[in-house]
Amino acid sequence: MEKNDKDPDDHHDDHNDKSSSGEEEKKGDVVSDANPPDDAHHDQDGISKDNIDEKTDHGDNVDKVDSPSGQEAPEVHQTLESLSEELDQLLSSLSLHQEEQHKDITKEKQEEAEEDDDYFQIPQFVGKFLDLFEDKLSKHDSGDQPKTTTTTWYQDPEEVSSLLDAMDHVSNLMKLLLSTKSCLDDHEPLINHAGSIQQRAMAFLEEEFRVLLEESVIKEPPAVVAVTDDQVQDHHNDDTQDHDQMVAPESRDEEIEYPGYSEEMVTLLKKVAEKMKGGGYLCECREVYLVARRNILMRTLKQDCEFEKVSVDEVLKMSWDTLEREIPIWNKTFKNCSSLFFPGELKLAEKIFPGGDEDEGSLFCIVTHGLAIQFLGFYEAVAMTKRSTEKLFKILDIYETLRDSFPDMEKLFPEELRSELRNEVTSARSRLGETAINIFLDLENSIKSDSSKTPVPGGAVHPLTRYTMNYLKYACEYKDTLEQVFKSHSTMEREEVEEEKKEDNSAFANQLMRIMDLLDGNMEAKSKLYKDIPLSSIFMMNNGRYIVQKIKGSAEIHEVMGDTWCRRRSSELRNYHKNYQRETWGKLLGFLGHEGLMHNGKIVKPNLKERFKSFNATFDEIHKTQTTWVVNDEQLQSELRVSITAVMIPAYRAFMARFGQYLDPGRQTEKYVKYQPEDIEDLIDELFEGNTSSSSAATAKRRT
Amino acid sequence: MLLSFRRDQVDSNAASHNNNMEAELDSFQRQVAEKFTDLNASSSGDDLLSLEWIGKLLDSFLCCQEEFRAIVFNHRSQISASSSPTNRLVSDYFERSIKALDVCNAIRDGVEQIRQWQKLSDIVISALDSRRANVGEGQLRRAKKALVDLAIGMLDEKDSTRLAHRNRSFGRAKDGHNRSMGQHLRSLSWSVSRSWSASKQLQALASNLTTPRQNDVGLAVPVYTMTSVLLFVMWVLVAAIPCQDRGLQVSFFVPRQFRWAAPVMSLHDKIVEESKRRDRKNCCGLLKEIGRIEKSSRVMNELIDSIHFPMSEEKESEVKQRVEELVEVHEALKNGLDPFERKVREVFHRIVRSRTESLDSLC
Repeated sequence: MEKNDKDPDDHHDDHNDKSSSGEEEKKGDVVSDANPPDDAHHDQDGISKDNIDEKTDHGDNVDKVDSPSGQEAPEVHQTLESLSEELDQLLSSLSLHQEEQHKDITKEKQEEAEEDDDYFQIPQFVGKFLDLFEDKLSKHDSGDQPKTTTTTWYQDPEEVSSLLDAMDHVSNLMKLLLSTKSCLDDHEPLINHAGSIQQRAMAFLEEEFRVLLEESVIKEPPAVVAVTDDQVQDHHNDDTQDHDQMVAPESRDEEIEYPGYSEEMVTLLKKVAEKMKGGGYLCECREVYLVARRNILMRTLKQDCEFEKVSVDEVLKMSWDTLEREIPIWNKTFKNCSSLFFPGELKLAEKIFPGGDEDEGSLFCIVTHGLAIQFLGFYEAVAMTKRSTEKLFKILDIYETLRDSFPDMEKLFPEELRSELRNEVTSARSRLGETAINIFLDLENSIKSDSSKTPVPGGAVHPLTRYTMNYLKYACEYKDTLEQVFKSHSTMEREEVEEEKKEDNSAFANQLMRIMDLLDGNMEAKSKLYKDIPLSSIFMMNNGRYIVQKIKGSAEIHEVMGDTWCRRRSSELRNYHKNYQRETWGKLLGFLGHEGLMHNGKIVKPNLKERFKSFNATFDEIHKTQTTWVVNDEQLQSELRVSITAVMIPAYRAFMARFGQYLDPGRQTEKYVKYQPEDIEDLIDELFEGNTSSSSAATAKRRT
Repeated sequence: MLLSFRRDQVDSNAASHNNNMEAELDSFQRQVAEKFTDLNASSSGDDLLSLEWIGKLLDSFLCCQEEFRAIVFNHRSQISASSSPTNRLVSDYFERSIKALDVCNAIRDGVEQIRQWQKLSDIVISALDSRRANVGEGQLRRAKKALVDLAIGMLDEKDSTRLAHRNRSFGRAKDGHNRSMGQHLRSLSWSVSRSWSASKQLQALASNLTTPRQNDVGLAVPVYTMTSVLLFVMWVLVAAIPCQDRGLQVSFFVPRQFRWAAPVMSLHDKIVEESKRRDRKNCCGLLKEIGRIEKSSRVMNELIDSIHFPMSEEKESEVKQRVEELVEVHEALKNGLDPFERKVREVFHRIVRSRTESLDSLC
């Protein structure tokens, strides 16, 4: 009992000595004015009560304190600081006192302990401290009053620490007062008063916390992943310079990543959060935090990624043109959320609220989870739009985005949410994968059902071949993804079909083969539309060559189709070539044979004349038609000409050498020998030019 | 394998097929009727529109949707082969069902909003918790601040701006710094665009819904049934949970001849009645828990305004009692919101999946 009685007083005396010695010169008045601690108790209550009764007049009180000449202000300041120290002493002695109490409680009966407790008295300076603190609050916390200075409290480090320290003291004081039974009984007005001031302080902090969160981003967060051009970087540098004066020199070169608070600011925010937690106002602090962060995040996405919310219905009603522009925005936003924004949010939440608060759920999750779900909803909606082949590539872009960027995102979430999100992503990916596969089925069907009956003039490459091959070539830029998609998302029925193939090919390769086969079949059917058999061969060659060239021209699709397939295809092409050669030039060669020209060792001149006439006529006819035929592929064109020349020229030369002599030189020769071998060669070189007016062109050329 | 086997079976049994189908469709009608009779039976007093009850409603929807999907699957050859009207009917349902997805999203945002209110009530509770020694003026003011935010948050969107303004101009002039969080909370919606309107969405869901004659053969009746169930469930969600541009002016009427009509219409009428009650007329959602939180926070608000210090014992015990009420609602929300939100999400996924699978099986 005696000890308890003595303890606080001892301390207090100590303290008084200390403070008076420290402040002697400056403000002996204040110290001497203070009532001796022992007498304080009664008066103290009175003061507190007055305070409470007059609480509506606080504004006036503030004026009274603030209005007198500037000289008094520093004194007031000093006093708050020194009183803080005194309070420290008091609090530590009090908690000591309490600890002892607790020990006592375990040993003795509780009643006795409570009696012990009764002994505790609160020195008068506590009330003074509260008054001064309230004055300080009023100074900062007067939204209605015009600001007297341009700097706010948080720009002045001294003010920050003085204010936050004072908050700590109030919170600690409150804790102790509330947990000390005797205080509750004897000092209710004081506790009430302190509680009010604490509430006011906390409301002040709450608002400041919100403002700091929202307004202290010192620069735009560095532009997002996808954009790396110099302009942005320049802009970025400018920004840094702009803020040089405001930011401490050390942090000038520091990369301040999203969310873009300086280290100092994060520290301050953390301190504010600590103070609010210390005062039992964590709930408020968390609420302000998460609402502010959500708004900021959403704003950032809008600014940096041009991200706008879209509802499912809108996605389904959008034209593909619009949606096609929308998808990259969502992909970019998703990627940036995964690599920059979400990690930034997590870091910030962990820095400001270290240790988290398991009961209430992680702030990071509350800030970001809904957004993550929103991305997936959009992607599902895209997968639900009417399927069309042109959508494949954007669908695959989304698929890749989810595949590549989600793992980093899911890591940020705690287990339960992570698996929930993962399920959603898995289901979105299946839907997208199935859509991609179905697009290939649609392509199959469109090839199957393409039954246009108009042959392409000149046997040129059919538009369907062009479309299909260009589509597949582009698709194969997503080869790895498509392999994966076909492997993971083919439905059962489909897989059984694959099985039948019994080849080592991947499901995607089989799909491509199937499309090639269908295309082939379709082209074969279309080749029958040409009445001219050699022309259908040229048509098949043209298409076949186009296909092979496309495949060889792109490493990805070549890899899928494989060398074997290409070789087989090339040899098929050679067959068409042979067919063509036989059909067209075999007949012409027939005129150059020896049979029927000799009879009993003598030349049969009329037959010879007939031969030359037929040859000329036939060749002219061939030239006339086949110069209108089209072979776009230069190599194929020259291969064809070379092979024709190789067959025709030696045979013609030999024929001329053997039989040319039998025609009378002059008129007869001129009449029947229309072409010299060189002329034939030249004319062959005019074939497959696709000239619509070829005959005249050929003649003109020959004359020159 | 399984799929092709079933298809064969359906074809080979074509003769008895019609009878089977009739029985199947009949059983569907019966099941829907049973579900809603149950829901109607458990809608007395405080149960109607409670989180738990709406959860049950969503479960019923999921069951009906599953049944319906099975019917579509079993008769897919008939649907896709037969005259296109049936095909169009079924596709129409699934296209319509997509419109429910945005409602689900908006409802999730609404749940998030309720969560904010729950947290504000949490602040009130911890400020006034009498287990924590006596309640001082500071704590009263703290509670008051949260209550004002709560009141603003719970107003229907249109009124909130006005009130926030009014409150700032006199109600809280004393704590001039206390900028309200009410409007702050508004912007929590992630999911639907700014122009989205729940009321328009419901209208779109309900548009061109034609009632078949009861003796219409084929799938006309089950499609109508399922569409009505979908529409009703979405209507209830919008009625109960705060969401963007809430409005219940969708004309919803099911003719008596359907077996499930009576319980559904009875529920419908009860809810309409509820929405017309004076105290719920301008509320942001008919959810029971919202009503309770709204009421106890209002009472609490009035109580706080009437307190003078030092607090009389009478007031003290009244505060204690009110806190207990608030704790009760708070707990109900705390335990009920998460499962409810998951269920809404489940409805979203099921709608997507049923649509994809059914449309795939039809082509």
